Amino acid sequence: MHHLVGLRWLLGLYTALFIAFLYGPFAVMAILSFQQGPEGGPQFPIREWSTFWYQHVMGLAPPSRIAPLPIAEALTRSLSLAFATMVVSTVLGTLTAQAFRTRFKGSGVVFYLVVLGMMVPGVLLGLGMALVADQLGIDRSWWGTAFVLHVVYTYPFAFLVMLAIFNRFDRSVEEAAWSLGVPPARTFRKVTFPMIFPGVLSAMLFALTLSYDEFPRTLFTAGSDVTMPIAIYGTFAVEIHPNLFAFGILTTLFSFAVLTVYGILMGLSTRRARARFSDMQEDIA
Amino acid sequence: MSAVTHDIPEEAGRESFWRRNLHFFLLAPGVAWMVLFLIVPLVMMVYVSFWTQTTFAINSTLTTKSWAAFFGSETYYGALIRTLRLWLTVLVLTFLAGYPTALFIGRFVRNKTLQTVLLVTCVIPFWTSFLIRVLAWRPMLGKEGAINIVLEKLGLISGPIEVLLFTELSVIIGMVQIYVVFMVGPIAFMLARIDDSLIEAARDLGATPLTIFRKIIFPLSLPGVVVGAIFVSVMVLGEFATASALSGRKVNLLGNIIVTQVGSLKWAFAAVAGVVLTAVMAVVITGLLRLVNLQREL
Repeated sequence: MHHLVGLRWLLGLYTALFIAFLYGPFAVMAILSFQQGPEGGPQFPIREWSTFWYQHVMGLAPPSRIAPLPIAEALTRSLSLAFATMVVSTVLGTLTAQAFRTRFKGSGVVFYLVVLGMMVPGVLLGLGMALVADQLGIDRSWWGTAFVLHVVYTYPFAFLVMLAIFNRFDRSVEEAAWSLGVPPARTFRKVTFPMIFPGVLSAMLFALTLSYDEFPRTLFTAGSDVTMPIAIYGTFAVEIHPNLFAFGILTTLFSFAVLTVYGILMGLSTRRARARFSDMQEDIA
Repeated sequence: MSAVTHDIPEEAGRESFWRRNLHFFLLAPGVAWMVLFLIVPLVMMVYVSFWTQTTFAINSTLTTKSWAAFFGSETYYGALIRTLRLWLTVLVLTFLAGYPTALFIGRFVRNKTLQTVLLVTCVIPFWTSFLIRVLAWRPMLGKEGAINIVLEKLGLISGPIEVLLFTELSVIIGMVQIYVVFMVGPIAFMLARIDDSLIEAARDLGATPLTIFRKIIFPLSLPGVVVGAIFVSVMVLGEFATASALSGRKVNLLGNIIVTQVGSLKWAFAAVAGVVLTAVMAVVITGLLRLVNLQREL
């Protein structure tokens, strides 16, 4: 075994470099977000350290030639869209995964139909949906045509997460409830759901983050009211400014907050399950 | 008496009808959603690719003119070739760059918590908007960018390297960094699942580390490689934002063609590019799925 120690160090060193590669642009972005404004551009050297661009994002900076990001409207839209997508795709994913627990004819076709949703490039779906809406005379909007495509994208993730959860789940507990005459809907609420809750939480997290950052599907389908990623894409064509970097840092902090809430809920759920289990053991003893 | 005997079969019949068709009711909403909002748009795209394009509109007179224009034009045909070349390059590079990391996390880190911490560390950059992450490469690669500054300070180069930004190379660097994690995750997952006793047995029988890797570890990690390759392929083939942001619109992929054509209301033409892209995707994905049964791996 000891001759593998060298390899272990080598791979460890490589992994450290790899992580540095992943974080490099991120670090540069963080540094440049403190560029002096409004004259300082999104490049080195730093003229003077300042929080100007953070104030600019918050709408607190004095007016300048650089237009502020449309945070208030675009961010509200993006978050509402992500929330609706999360709810609908988690429900659909759970229902479909529940159906897959019994064998049925055509399960392969349905499986790949659902998984196709995460495999088709967004730009194709956006184009197809825009064509359909155009022919049917439907106005394209973020809450309509864009929303349904977001669900097409996130529902497969929710489905796969739930399928993995159901696959390693003791079904005898449910069967016990059924044989005692508890109706299926009630069994689901009282027995199945508490057991699959961690999976549901992960599916929700997936859907929320994917939809919030989703962009190629939204580009052709959101109409004139833009979401946050489309607003950012709009700045690609013109000059970019460090306010985008400041915004990126702020959204990352926000994401950490969401991740922390997820971690806490997950921890609570496992602790409660453990507590219930030890209660049961005490009862038996 | 007859009422009782009559009652029981009916009750059982209703029960089994509900049970027998339960999966149908559970599946209906999801399947309907996918047919309406996934299949219909794709079919519509194929259909529209045969419509007639006038200056600012399309009409449903069928023609193959847009198809002929696509394959007759050096620009568009070239975009197809470029897309394929870039996809292969990025796929190979993400595999080469990602596998050692996955091997380290999956096989050499024995502590489960540390494993999770390392994987989460790799995923954290994903919590920043995709587009902002792409833009962050500009101050990194530019003529006065971080890489050139560092290399010059170290005295490794005398003048700035200019090929780093607004070239195909910058697009490749950007894409590898953005998508490599999708390779690392599935591979590390499969590697961590390998039974240690299998490797011990091989070692007891005198297999060298290289043989163990070649005959056991690598074949067992292959489903992870395929899943990673599917993720990377799907995302790279449909790309356009990274290409336009990091190449200064010099590198045009099929995705870029679709975006420009839609921008100038050339719907039929955009649809042709879309169908070509779909065909490429279909071949790639079915080819990869041949190698592994996705449904069984879960």
